[in-house]
Amino acid sequence: MAVAAKPGYSCPYCATSFNTVDDLKDHVLKVHGTEALPRPEGYVKLTVNGQAWELEVAPNWTLFYLLHDQLGYTGAKTFCDRGACGSCTVIIDGRPVLSCMTLAIECDGKNIETAEGIAAAKHPLIEAYVKHHAMQCGYCTPGFVVTAKALLDRNPDPTVEEIKEALAGNLCRCGTYPQHPIAIIEAAKKVLAARSENTPA
Amino acid sequence: MMDSDFDYEIENQDFSAIGKRGIWRIDGREKASGSAIYTADIKLPGMLYARVFNSPYPHAGIKSMDTSKVEAFPGVRAVLRSDDPEIKDKVVPGSYGAPWYVLPDWAMWEGEPIGLVVAADSEQICDEALKLVEIDWDIRPFITDIEDAQKPGAPELHNKVPNDIYDAVNENNPYASAFSELFRIAEGHRTFEQGSVKKGFAEADKIIEFKARRRMHTWAQPEIPSAICRWNGGYPEIWVKHQHAYEHKQVMPVWFDVPMNKVTLHVPYQGAMFGGWNWMNWSTVIHYISALLSKRTGKPVKLCFNRRDDFYGGALDCGTYEFKVGAKKDGTITAVAIKSDYVNGPTAAEANTGIYHFIENSRIPNLFKENNSVVVNRGPVTAVRCEQLANTLCFNMVFSHVAAELGLDPTEVALKNDGYDGEDSEYLTECKKRFGKPQRDSLRECIEAGKKAIDWDNKWHTPGTRKLPNGKMHGIGFVWTHEWNSKRGAGTVGVLFEPDGSVSLMAQRADTGLCAETAYCQIAADELGMRYEDVFLNSHKDSGFAMMTPDGSCNLCTNGWVIRRACRKAKRKLLEFAALGYQEEFHSYPPAFEGCGPEDLDVKDSVIFVKANPAISKTVKEVVKEVMCVQWWKHPQIYDWSWKQTGAHVDPTGEASEELIDPNKRPHFCRQAHFMEVEVDPETGEIEVTNVVCVNDVGKAINPEGVQGQQYGGVYMAVGRGKHEEVILDEPTGVMLNGNLLDYKITTILDCGPIDPIIVETAMGYGPYGANGIGENVADLTSTLLGPAVYNALGVAVDDFPITPAKILKALGKI
Repeated sequence: MAVAAKPGYSCPYCATSFNTVDDLKDHVLKVHGTEALPRPEGYVKLTVNGQAWELEVAPNWTLFYLLHDQLGYTGAKTFCDRGACGSCTVIIDGRPVLSCMTLAIECDGKNIETAEGIAAAKHPLIEAYVKHHAMQCGYCTPGFVVTAKALLDRNPDPTVEEIKEALAGNLCRCGTYPQHPIAIIEAAKKVLAARSENTPA
Repeated sequence: MMDSDFDYEIENQDFSAIGKRGIWRIDGREKASGSAIYTADIKLPGMLYARVFNSPYPHAGIKSMDTSKVEAFPGVRAVLRSDDPEIKDKVVPGSYGAPWYVLPDWAMWEGEPIGLVVAADSEQICDEALKLVEIDWDIRPFITDIEDAQKPGAPELHNKVPNDIYDAVNENNPYASAFSELFRIAEGHRTFEQGSVKKGFAEADKIIEFKARRRMHTWAQPEIPSAICRWNGGYPEIWVKHQHAYEHKQVMPVWFDVPMNKVTLHVPYQGAMFGGWNWMNWSTVIHYISALLSKRTGKPVKLCFNRRDDFYGGALDCGTYEFKVGAKKDGTITAVAIKSDYVNGPTAAEANTGIYHFIENSRIPNLFKENNSVVVNRGPVTAVRCEQLANTLCFNMVFSHVAAELGLDPTEVALKNDGYDGEDSEYLTECKKRFGKPQRDSLRECIEAGKKAIDWDNKWHTPGTRKLPNGKMHGIGFVWTHEWNSKRGAGTVGVLFEPDGSVSLMAQRADTGLCAETAYCQIAADELGMRYEDVFLNSHKDSGFAMMTPDGSCNLCTNGWVIRRACRKAKRKLLEFAALGYQEEFHSYPPAFEGCGPEDLDVKDSVIFVKANPAISKTVKEVVKEVMCVQWWKHPQIYDWSWKQTGAHVDPTGEASEELIDPNKRPHFCRQAHFMEVEVDPETGEIEVTNVVCVNDVGKAINPEGVQGQQYGGVYMAVGRGKHEEVILDEPTGVMLNGNLLDYKITTILDCGPIDPIIVETAMGYGPYGANGIGENVADLTSTLLGPAVYNALGVAVDDFPITPAKILKALGKI
């Protein structure tokens, strides 16, 4: 025999009933000190290039798969498929990270930056990379740009040696390497100049 | 009568875009910002992913196969078996027409795609499902080493595709090319002789004999290959990761009886190939499989390879070499004889491979070459930046050993033997005159520029004598040869003035990153008188026209001519329209410049002006703005097109013989010279490349930054080849051990010192404006530059590439 559903909304933690969803939310937040409703398995909230996403991800999804295949951030590329080439690099909370070696499910609450975001923010790296031909086939280029951005964020005035060290994990089969320090130093100067303009005397 | 559009035009070079630095590459922003789309990025609604089974054995056949568990695996949508009636034993035209099996049922190397293909909802499902196939194997004896393969009792191996089937497929393929023969796994034996080496050895003061070896190295392309087809009822669309993109449209009627006018070809950005993959016969055939599965499932199908799959194959120089050289005390080489055994040797299909650069570059009169192809259970070898590798290896080895044995400066030995086809430099000068070229001594100019840049006179020393304060041995090496140019290729391009005053170049081709499309826009801008930013080539879209593929360093010397001529024709039409307007019986459109003839007008910076009074002017945009407004069509479109096959070459003087106009017989005039410094640690055997100078006489640099990109980029690839690139198989099992980018080392930013890319421009090339190609030659020539540099450091030759620390220590007698 079918049991008629009890009217209202029941708290998943203590089974108290409420008449409205908002009442239930208030109760859960106040009494149980957690989010309004239990999260479904695989639920993550993250920010990509300033945009908030709330998603359910499968436990086997890599961050690369989420960004590239599900969200359409094609700047992350698969070159090596195992953390050896740097082409899938994205910035997570300020650090350059290999998205092919990171599980999407671990990225709850993370702030992620990709090459697309760096370009949309008009970072001088993009212009410098184009101007100095720091690319050929271009497949690995966004990975370099992302690594370079992370470097400039933590070291705004790097030496050539520091740049080479930072980029040592990014492979480029076309051999564009000599152009990257040139482009990055030019971009660094522009970032520094813009900062000093914006800093009150 | 010479067509003026094909004049080399080497004197009037007052350009706005051509040769200028700081030109914005047309692909730059998209590539840097991650918005450039490659085939690997394409995902279509409802798309299925397909994977091919890889043979776990280096030599084995499938006796029987049970795929029921594969078919039952959740998410699997189709299974294609090699015994499927539609494809059983089927051989179809593959890359460049080379016949290959759609899906063979026996393997010649571990990892060969055979047996079955699975299409499923994801690549992972495919891989899991493929593990469930049950196969009754016929495991056959195998051999992976070229020297072992020639010992008595070694397993006998034959051509992968039997000759009769191969010939039959070729006969029925309207697009079969002469190249198909060059890239098959086949036995072969050829010899070549010019002059008499016996006589040359008799004339020599010294006979020098040595052996060399090149281990298998490969392309390691950044974008992992895939093939996409969406059948769309009777209108298939294909997405191609391939240098020879247009071929895939051509073979669709041959494969599936679908007319070309119903096929749409997409050529997204290409994550580089360096030849390699795209010369593999099945690199085209995989599109047959994705198309067949798409047809059967009614879904778009993406056939995916993985990183390991991409390591099965290597370059054409893989093999063993025996040299005998005769030379006089002053460095004059009197005879060269070389015997080569090549792995799976398509290289042996050409008799003069290995001796070719001695013909093209030197006055050495007596040459002999023996080429053998030895079939082993390894992946096929093919042109990996590029087919000249065996030639440059032999050329470098001979010149560096002669200089070493005679105690001479290698740059002097080069200058002493420079020439063409047994003739000396004076003959070359005569040829330059007959071709209307400047009479410059390219080799001397390149050597002088390079010696100065690297400080050769102070740094070159007696081999094995300069120990540095850090305990390492200093070495410096030098190699040289001719420039690559236009031996082959054809292209077509359309030039269209859009109603907003911009210009579309229309031709499809694969953009592999050489900055070629930008260079074409530079040529178009100058020839049309348009601003560079008003000209654009969208090479990805199917415009019906196709330009020469990125192959053989021949693009610029084909497409440059085509674009130049098409633009000149289109400009003439524009000026005719500006001066004369448009008249027909029932419709007319007034001229923009009343009272002028087309010859009175010219275009500069996208503005048409009266030559006698440039103040009278109108922008191109103003003149063409009403060219085509659908439903209010005021006058016809202004466009033109052109075509050229490289080979039928120009002779500005009209006096050159037929022989010299033949691209396979005309002399190379431009040279290149490269210098490398190394430090070798005699305790560990470690080599550090500390400094490289590249000097290339490219004739005319259309895009100088693009040229330099090929110079330093080529060096990075070559340093890897010289030091550490080797595909290693496990001897007892024949299984590849390092099919990934952790264990197969390609050069990183830390692995090479500064590279100085120097451009020499003598305008003596056979391309437009006297240009040459540059895409392959530096990577090719400098791959063995490490040899002479290490010899200079140690005084001991290590002629087994890659030169690993273990080989250094062995040569020093330390292990």
